Amino acid sequence: MKHVATLISFGAALAFASTTLLANGSIENGKQKATTCFACHGVDGNSVDPQYPRLAGQYNKYLQVVLHEYKDGQRSNPIMKGMASTLSAQDIEDIATYFSSLPTKLDTLKGHLQGDK
Amino acid sequence: MTRLQLFGLAVAAAFFACTSVHAEGDKVAGQKLVYTCAGCHGVPGYTNAYPQYPVPKIVGQNEQYLINALHGYKSGERKHPTMDAQATSLSDVDIQNIAAFLSSFAK
Repeated sequence: MKHVATLISFGAALAFASTTLLANGSIENGKQKATTCFACHGVDGNSVDPQYPRLAGQYNKYLQVVLHEYKDGQRSNPIMKGMASTLSAQDIEDIATYFSSLPTKLDTLKGHLQGDK
Repeated sequence: MTRLQLFGLAVAAAFFACTSVHAEGDKVAGQKLVYTCAGCHGVPGYTNAYPQYPVPKIVGQNEQYLINALHGYKSGERKHPTMDAQATSLSDVDIQNIAAFLSSFAK
């Protein structure tokens, strides 16, 4: 009986470990799931229409936070609310991982101020 | 008299042309306004204290998106403690100038 309990706790520990591993987003899965996004945000993540933000090379974690904000209604945008509401937490990680991995035109302000080198 | 009227029209047209150019946003004026932004947006990988996530890269971002974002913070439609405070101090022209400057890098 004691053995069974040990085995169960081992199993539980393993299950927990594997979910944390799964929590890492996959670029490949993200690419598949992001097809809907391409219409506005561009296949390369660099939206041509200036009203839509460029996503290519944006911080992974930031993109995840934003998608969750659209999903739970904290940030309101009629188009994005519809898109994000169908996504699972795993979908969000994958999509954010995909877009953040693309070649970017974005940068921080470092080096762009007057007097910066 | 007709000449004077024509001249008046020309002056009015020139004036109008100038203001519409201004309406597109002045990069040079924008560059002077972004010093404040650099405290967070100028540090690669810098993370918000609360809630905790990286501050987005804004250089090279699309112009109209930046304008919408700042107006969203200003009107309270989009919420973020620091950004709400920053955006309320900006005029509509300031916002256009900042967006013109930041978006100019990707073109």
